[in-house]
Amino acid sequence: MDAPVHRLETVSLRKEYPGTLALNDVSLSFESGNVHALIGKNGAGKSTIVKILAGAVQPTRGTMMLDGEQVQLRSPADALQRGIIAVHQELSLVPELSVAENILLGRLPMRQGWGQFIIDWKAVFEEAGEVLRSLDIELDLRARASTLGVAQQQVVEIAKAMSYHPSVLILDEPTSALAQHETERLFDLVRKLAGQGVILLYITHRLQELQRIADTVTVLRNGSLVGTIDIADATPSTIVQMMFGQDLQKARPAELVAREESFLEVRNLSKRCAFQDVSFAVKRGEILGIAGLLGSGRTELLRAIFGADPPDEGELVLEGVSVRPTSPEQMKRLGVALTPENRKEQGLVLLLSTRVNLCLASLDRIATHGFLTRLRERVIVDRNIRELDIAVANVDAPITYLSGGSQQKVVVGKWLNTQPRLMLLDEPTRGIDLQAKQQMFQLIWEMSKRGISSIVVSSELEELLDLCHRILIMRQGQIVGEVRPQELSLDTLFAVCMGEQEAER
Amino acid sequence: MTQTRFRTWLSEGILEIILILFCVALSFMAPGFLTAENLLNVLRNVSMQGVIAFGMTMVIIAGEIDLSVGSAVAFAGCLTAFLTQALVGAGVGLPLAIALAILMTLGVGFLIGAFTGFMRTRYQVPSFITTLALLTGLSGAAELITNGFPLTPFPSWYNFLGGGYLLAVPFPALIFLLTFGALQFLMNYTAFGRSVYAVGGNAEAARLSGINVKRVKTLVLGTTSFLAAISGIMVSSEIMSGTATTAKGWELDVIAAVIIGGTSLMGGVGRIWGTMIGVVFLGVIMNGMTLLNVSEYWQHVVRGALILVAVLLNLLQKGKEQR
Repeated sequence: MDAPVHRLETVSLRKEYPGTLALNDVSLSFESGNVHALIGKNGAGKSTIVKILAGAVQPTRGTMMLDGEQVQLRSPADALQRGIIAVHQELSLVPELSVAENILLGRLPMRQGWGQFIIDWKAVFEEAGEVLRSLDIELDLRARASTLGVAQQQVVEIAKAMSYHPSVLILDEPTSALAQHETERLFDLVRKLAGQGVILLYITHRLQELQRIADTVTVLRNGSLVGTIDIADATPSTIVQMMFGQDLQKARPAELVAREESFLEVRNLSKRCAFQDVSFAVKRGEILGIAGLLGSGRTELLRAIFGADPPDEGELVLEGVSVRPTSPEQMKRLGVALTPENRKEQGLVLLLSTRVNLCLASLDRIATHGFLTRLRERVIVDRNIRELDIAVANVDAPITYLSGGSQQKVVVGKWLNTQPRLMLLDEPTRGIDLQAKQQMFQLIWEMSKRGISSIVVSSELEELLDLCHRILIMRQGQIVGEVRPQELSLDTLFAVCMGEQEAER
Repeated sequence: MTQTRFRTWLSEGILEIILILFCVALSFMAPGFLTAENLLNVLRNVSMQGVIAFGMTMVIIAGEIDLSVGSAVAFAGCLTAFLTQALVGAGVGLPLAIALAILMTLGVGFLIGAFTGFMRTRYQVPSFITTLALLTGLSGAAELITNGFPLTPFPSWYNFLGGGYLLAVPFPALIFLLTFGALQFLMNYTAFGRSVYAVGGNAEAARLSGINVKRVKTLVLGTTSFLAAISGIMVSSEIMSGTATTAKGWELDVIAAVIIGGTSLMGGVGRIWGTMIGVVFLGVIMNGMTLLNVSEYWQHVVRGALILVAVLLNLLQKGKEQR
């Protein structure tokens, strides 16, 4: 069965956001029959491309061509009409509806002659069954989506997308929540789709998948196209080279050394389904990185140390005193601070002003006998704004209006006001621009000089190499290695995280 | 420049302006309106519910709700009467019996709200549900301790709390103003008030800032039912009995006043001052229409309309800010 070959092209696609160039004149070409992987580190422009192709955002400049014909997508509905569908990482099934209803959501067949008010259940199950059969998927059509595992839900998502008979299917990190054997089955499905004449784009950050699923690999970096190569020519080291390039590694200030005495010892910390038997120590003023992929237990570990989700077993030793973390309130009193992974949902109260947010963690310090005065707040807030260089027009306006970088600085400033001795930073540079990132580094180094220790979790490895004295590698809830930046190159570290080889202890 | 500033001022104070215009119109249309006696009367009429409304404002800002305040008022009145009777029966002198009964009622009042807070923070039972249960339960409890008949153990001087005057101002009105001052201060000038806003705006972010969310919610709910107990004692003094059927449906009037004052039911946003305006607005409308001989049925319709219009104005103003 030879399906006709389709071709999707982008011509000098460019997307500018205020202050950043997300996509810099990228021209790509994908034909049906093959699986095209699109890779790059965070901020490389992958998600911008996906959003443009799916009609969610409009490019600043440049065009898209489908089979030689120019297409303009003003909305996701437009994209759908042209047969371009993206399946996102976050699943969007309605949990209380059946598999069949989910597949045909919004397009349930109606009984003719009843004024189109009555659902034709027979047709629903026939049509949905037909979709599953064409993909060789075996699933109970009547099962509620909430009873399915993540992998099966993923499959239903794809079946739903395929029921639109798309010409382009974009899979955005489909395996990030899947176990090994589930991934295998997904790959079979993807292969089958490729054989049906669909143009398949596959976005991933798991390099080890590429060899098994992709036919071509397209690499983006900092919004620009680095190149496209056939998988046959792609060795792990070429790919890593392409992804990370010759990015200059800005060294830490040389005088930055950790003190001898340790500030925190983590002893045999465990939490069910998150991490097991984790032990390590942090010296005073030391910047310790934790590298690991999403789901490796790194965020859970930070939250456990902070008492946000108390650990099941194990203890902390803070300056020689044994502590079991039970609440953020308690750990704050002991001089521990956490800037959470998701600043909008966990770090800030978006309804409230910059001033209030900056003072939120240190209310008991700022207030005398429980009473707050605007004047005392003002002094502290002004100092924060000056020292952290926060761009804010009106400190009394809701903080929603600030840029991502400024918001992140507010989260850090909020904790600096508590005069912490250990900062736990979860993805401190996510979604902020280059300059703010550099300032964030500077800030962490300055804290180190003042004897404040930091534990930094980040998905961006080269970032940790720049920033930290020492990096722990975490995989599947365990610490599997420890490296010092000066002794290690980027590709080895990456390989360690991917599980391709063990780091030396 | 001055024009835009005028506009901001106009849109922020829109409710105050409407209220003033309303009062001006009433003073022309209803001759009895603009007299000291009538205005003090309005103040006293709104006091009983108004006291609770300030607490309710905190509860709603903290992202919770209390539907039980009406029954809590009736229950507090009956409990005071019941305890007074029991203490007198046990040989305690009447003045001391009343004093003890009031203190115990206030304590029980706080504990009722604290219980709602406990159910909320310990077992994640929504405050909507717990207080809905209390709405029925407390009403039944009031009937139980009074056997369904008004209890009248009070001496005539007890009437001072609900019907008396101090320096020519009705005593309940003084309590109302005092409560306003206290909560205005608490919400604007203390660390606790700030935590209430944070908890209602984003409970998880507040928790991760080391704020004790459970304590904040429990205290706020406790304070509100404490205020309902104060109100209940004043009501029992006004009618000189513990009567189980008083204050039916107050919870909705109280919530209406809070909402008219610009507090968001989504939590995190609201002002004690706004509630003051809401409470007075409702009182003035009732009073004005009574003076104008408008039927009571119309009064309900107008109040309903006011709630809707006030919220609409609020949302429109917010929409403008965002643009």
